[in-house]
Amino acid sequence: MKKAIEVKNLIKSYGNNFQLGKINLEIPSGLIVGLIGENGAGKTTLLKSILNIIKYNGEIKIFDKDSQKEESIIKEDIGVVLDDMFFPEILTPSDISSIMQGVYKNWDKDLFFKYLKDFHLEPNKSYKTFSKGMKKKLEIATSLAHHPKLLILDEPTSGLDPIVRGEVLDIFLNFIQDEEHTILLSTHITSDLEHLADRIVFLDAGQIIFDKSRDELLDNYGILKCSEEDFSKIDKNDIISYKKSKYAYEVLITNKNKISKKYKDLVVDKITIDELMVLMIKGEK
Amino acid sequence: MIGLIKKEFLMLKSNIKTLGIIIIIYVLMAIQGSLSISSIPSFLGTLIMVSNFSYDEFNKWDAYLITLPNGRKNSVKARYISTIILNLIITLFVILLGILISLAKSQPIIYKDFLSEMFITFLIAIAMQSFIYPITYKFGMEKSRILIFIFIFAIIAIGSIIIEYVNLKLSSIFINFINNFWSTLIPITVLIILLLSYKISERIYSKKEF
Repeated sequence: MKKAIEVKNLIKSYGNNFQLGKINLEIPSGLIVGLIGENGAGKTTLLKSILNIIKYNGEIKIFDKDSQKEESIIKEDIGVVLDDMFFPEILTPSDISSIMQGVYKNWDKDLFFKYLKDFHLEPNKSYKTFSKGMKKKLEIATSLAHHPKLLILDEPTSGLDPIVRGEVLDIFLNFIQDEEHTILLSTHITSDLEHLADRIVFLDAGQIIFDKSRDELLDNYGILKCSEEDFSKIDKNDIISYKKSKYAYEVLITNKNKISKKYKDLVVDKITIDELMVLMIKGEK
Repeated sequence: MIGLIKKEFLMLKSNIKTLGIIIIIYVLMAIQGSLSISSIPSFLGTLIMVSNFSYDEFNKWDAYLITLPNGRKNSVKARYISTIILNLIITLFVILLGILISLAKSQPIIYKDFLSEMFITFLIAIAMQSFIYPITYKFGMEKSRILIFIFIFAIIAIGSIIIEYVNLKLSSIFINFINNFWSTLIPITVLIILLLSYKISERIYSKKEF
């Protein structure tokens, strides 16, 4: 399988405040990979390193090419949405199309205007008159209109209402139909990933603490809700982490089926990515 | 890169009203005879390009720009090329304006003087921008405003000391040399300043993080 992104020994420090890495990550083509983690965990730093927006130590390859030496070729095939708004406010979608025509070799004006129509965006209204959701939609349309092979998206669905979010996720799913296409996205809306992502990469304090396929995660991990008395009966080796609330314990476990058989009196629930995140970061061990 | 040059010009929209008002005031004053329109290019181009810098910083455009093919490499180049094109357009526009005003006032102008005056203001504009850009790339719009003011003040101070020194100490041969060859020396000096400024800006930008 072809590799879309390969990160080797990536380290990025911001003085003594924060360090990302060492990060080692391989993303094969054809996948949607979701990057999750708390605010400040290093998600944006990782994406910015991959895009060469910031300087770093280590090696990053995209489409098997060195991301710095062959940057211009690589970037013809990458579509990007950044966390912050980034278009000059005065410009209109038509202006952006005219600029991008002089930037990307494969800029598809018709496709861009089709997205504008689908997203109900006026081509001649300035960016500053758009709502937050409309701005995001314009950024997504721009990221797709040069037929990229790889999408790198930092919080692409934040600020979108559920209906538009659904439309956008459908576009991403449609994009990924092509085996050569890949999406790496960071998001706080983890429920999106439960439907969308093939793989989940979990960053905490600058380190990857978890990198598993979505199916493995949702099928294998579980949450065991029990009383203090039941909790004391659970073998410590079966507990990944736990959280004590007012009336019950929430215990993160793996090997869901095995645990269900072992503790027949206890109920093992399905886990959501949100619950997993909270238990992994805030849970006791 | 053409896309990035286009962007600089499309962003003129943000200034269009202010520019219109400035030009009208200038023209009215020029018709009255209280001001020479030839000084327009030296500040108008700078005003526009500096405001583009501000907008880009405010809109966090640079981080996105770097994700585009050749974004980091072409950004500085596109800005310098846009600057030269913009200064040329403004200069040509003012030349036309000068001719129209002279026709309207039925006062013939001495073309040789007027054109060389325009050429000098064009060069002053380029020199000013060459000076401002590396500082702005390095320190960002906010900090660079104060620094540019300090530097201009320092240059004027140092310049006047040098001129005084030249007048006092150096022989008239040197002064004659300058007087005779200024029309070649000034454009060459400005060209060197421009190239140097470009190289410095490019170097600064290549290391910048957003």
